[in-house]
This record gives sequence, C-alpha cells and structure tokens, in this order.
Amino acid sequence: MPASSLFTASAEALINKVIALDEDSEKRLALLNGKRLTVFLDGFPWGVTLAFSSKVDILLEHHPYEDVSVHVDENTCYIKTHFDVLPRLTQTSQITQLIREGKLHLQGEPGIAQQVAALFQQLDIDWEEQLSTYTGDVPAHQIFSSASAVKAQVLAFSERLTRGLSNAITEEKDIAVGKLAVMHFNDEVDALRDDAQRFEARLRLLENSL
Amino acid sequence: MSDTDSREQASQRTPNASTEQTDFGFQQVEKSQKASLVANVFDSVAAKYDVMNDLMSFGVHRLWKRYTIDCAGVRAGHKVLDIAGGTGDLTAKFSRLVGPTGSVTLADINLSMLKVGRDKLRDQGLVNNIDYVQADAEALPFPDNSFDVVTMAFGLRNVTEKQNALNSIYRVLKPGGRLLVLEFSKPASEHLSKIYDMYSFHILPRMGQVVANDADSYRYLAESIRMHPDQETLKGMFESAGFEQCDYTNLTGGIVALHRGYKF
Ligand SMILES: C[S@@+](CC[C@H](N)C(=O)[O-])C[C@H]1O[C@@H](n2cnc3c(N)ncnc32)[C@H](O)[C@@H]1O
Repeated sequence: MPASSLFTASAEALINKVIALDEDSEKRLALLNGKRLTVFLDGFPWGVTLAFSSKVDILLEHHPYEDVSVHVDENTCYIKTHFDVLPRLTQTSQITQLIREGKLHLQGEPGIAQQVAALFQQLDIDWEEQLSTYTGDVPAHQIFSSASAVKAQVLAFSERLTRGLSNAITEEKDIAVGKLAVMHFNDEVDALRDDAQRFEARLRLLENSL
Repeated sequence: MSDTDSREQASQRTPNASTEQTDFGFQQVEKSQKASLVANVFDSVAAKYDVMNDLMSFGVHRLWKRYTIDCAGVRAGHKVLDIAGGTGDLTAKFSRLVGPTGSVTLADINLSMLKVGRDKLRDQGLVNNIDYVQADAEALPFPDNSFDVVTMAFGLRNVTEKQNALNSIYRVLKPGGRLLVLEFSKPASEHLSKIYDMYSFHILPRMGQVVANDADSYRYLAESIRMHPDQETLKGMFESAGFEQCDYTNLTGGIVALHRGYKF
C-alpha cells in the first residue's frame, strides 16, 4: 500500500470507463447487481474482488482463499487458479474437468464467473470512434487498420488454442502429445509477439507524426 | 462566531492545565469547549473539504481510504456505521457493497459536513440504504450490538475524550464485528518526520489560506495531528475499550495508520 491501492483504483476507473462506452453492457451489469467474484491467481499476493452494483468496485483481498471462501452464498463466487486457466472458464463444459485436474478451486456460484466473463467478452465498443475524438479521423483509421490485423490474429490464435485444449481433454491424449501442443503454442506466441511489436512500431511512428 | 474568534477565545482560556483541560491543536482548552471549537473548524471547512483533501494529500487520502475499505470485510447485507463520516467518501463505497439488504449509517457531529455528504451521495444516485445521523462519537445514539463494521476516518483526533468514543463504538458493534480507525499518526522515520513537519506547519496553512481563505482551520488540523496518540498508544486504547486481536498498519511511512480491532 498505497501501490496496491493505486493499482485497484486505476483498474476500477478503467473498467467502469470501458463498460460505460458500451450502452448494452448496462443490461449485463444489471444481471450481476449485488454479486461478487473473487479471484486468487497463483503467484499473486492478494485476491481481487469485483463487486457489482450500478458500477464495478474492485477490492483487494488480503486473506488467503482458504480463509475467505468459507463465506459463500448464492451471490458470491471464489476462484483460485492459474492465470493461464482464466480463458477456459468461459466454457461451462471445462469447469468440472479443471476442478478434477486440480487446476481450479471454486466455491460458491460458478454462474457468476461466467456472467462476468460475458460482461467483458461481449463489450462492443467502437474504439476507432472513441480514438478519433482525440486524434482526428485519419490517424484513428490508420491505427485501427493495424490493430484489426493484430486482433484478428489474436482471435484466430485463441480459437485454435481453445480447440486444441478441448481436444486434448476430450480425447485424453497422452503427455507426449501435450508437449507437442505446448511447442506449437510457443511458436504461435512468438508469431503473435512479432505482430504486436510491428504494431507497436507503427504506433510509435504515428505518435511522432501527430 | 468566526473560527478566528473562537481560537482567540480558546487561547485566552488557557491559564493553567488542569484535569478539566484538553488539547485543541497545540492549545489547552476547557474540555467542555473543545466540541464547539472543533465544530467551528468543520463548519468553516465543509464547503471546500473535498477539494482541500485532494490538494493537501495529493489525492493519496483516496488510497488510504481504499485500503481501509479493503480491510473492512464489508459484505452484502451488512450494517455499517461510518462515524465522523463527514462528506461520505467511505459511505459511498459501503453503500454499494452492502447492497439493498444492508445499510450504512453516516454519522457526524457536524451538520454542515453531513449536509455536504448527503448532497454528494445523492448526486451519485446513492439514496436507498443510507441513513444520516447527527451524533457524537462519545455517546452514540444506537442500541448495543447494532453494527457489523464501524469505521472512523480522520475523525478520532477531533474527539474530546477519545477513550469514550472507543468504548461507545465497542458497545454498538455486534459480537464478531470490527472497528477500523484511519488516522494520522507518527511517521516511522526521522527524515520523513522533518519533511512532514515542514509541509504541515508551513505549506498546509498557506494552502488553506489560498484555497479556502482559512489558514487557522488548517493550522488546527496540522496541530491536532501532532497531538494525536501514536500507533502503540492508540492500540492500547483499543484494548482498554475491550477490542481484541488489535493491530495496525502504517501507511505512507506512518504518516497515517489504520488500526483494527474486533469485538468477540
Ligand atoms: C477530517 S473530517 C473526516 C471526514 C471523513 N471521514 C473523511 O475521511 O473524509 C473529521 C470529521 O469528524 C467529525 N467529528 C469531529 N468530532 C466528532 C465527534 N465527537 N463525533 C462525531 N464526529 C465528529 C467532524 O465534524 C468532521 O466531519
């Protein structure tokens, strides 16, 4: 403190700002009214709680998962997992599997985690329009044509990854295949990083020319 | 009566320290007088209170309060008392966290501060689960065992008999409930202490003069901070009131400390 508080304060401001940019998100936020999701990620010293009302409040949880997750009711969900596992939580079919594998600890109402994921995944914000209010139309368009290419790559990558992981689980492939998948994953990450670096370089050029 | 008048009166009434005297900043005043002197200060600063808070602390007071909220463990359905709640910074967040099944009582001895707080919270659309009560922390007008959580941010140092306030809070807390007191305290390092003294006695009153046209009130704030018990003394006072598992966390090098105690 106050570094950790500064982090939650900034994250809270950002999340609420982003949610406010999408008019439809109000409905999804209303579904979560009064609910809380607390996430503990391996390797992080604190848990983070998202508390939903007319806005999102972010709290830091200083006590460990085992202590706080005893306070469960139908409006709370406590999750303890690893960062990499987070994207898989959006698929209901995977949750039991993850718990069985010991990769996910969950107390409370799992539906909350999925509603939270939906709130953010379904955000539909016209970033180009938002940006153009600051930079003007032409730079905004230039940035976004690069950004769209990267976004398409990310989406394709995460789709392939999800498909790969689902297959690995359902077909119960052995560990050797798992290793191959990891190698493939690393290659994809490298490719994605190159794209992102190119994108960053273009952004820098644009920044200098503004 | 202006704040300056009241301070002059206060200094005239400091012939010798007796058991009936107490501190008002660096002055000694009659105990019976302190509450109204403090009331004058907060009447005088109420309108500019929020903007001065941001200026004086460079916005860091928001982080101290945020940390307090993190440690409060407030959940849906809880009954929370924010005593000396002033303009309602903590109350606003608690109101959202307790939800429609819970409630927050914003209590303050000063009507001007309560009014600024109520208007601010209403503007934020927070209306349904907040009660506003004018109350003295030393004699809280609530039944025993009423609240799950009590918070007091930057309020305790203004109270005449601090131990009475802690006893009173203990009474109104439910068993299992907790008290959090956020208050200026004693910086842990000498260096920081010197810089901080320089800031609070030389710069702060000038800022008060320029922004709020009220150097005296801000001088009182600085002085009252120095007269407030240090971390260990306050922890002892918590224990005397009956609180258990008492601890404190220094924030920003001990400029501020968050004390916590439970009633079991
Ligand atoms: C510095 S302000 C703090 C307001 C708010 N809690 C915050 O952190 O922004 C101190 C408040 O304590 C209140 N106060 C002073 N003496 C009090 C007492 N004996 N009982 C209740 N409130 C008191 C004042 O009226 C004032 O609103």
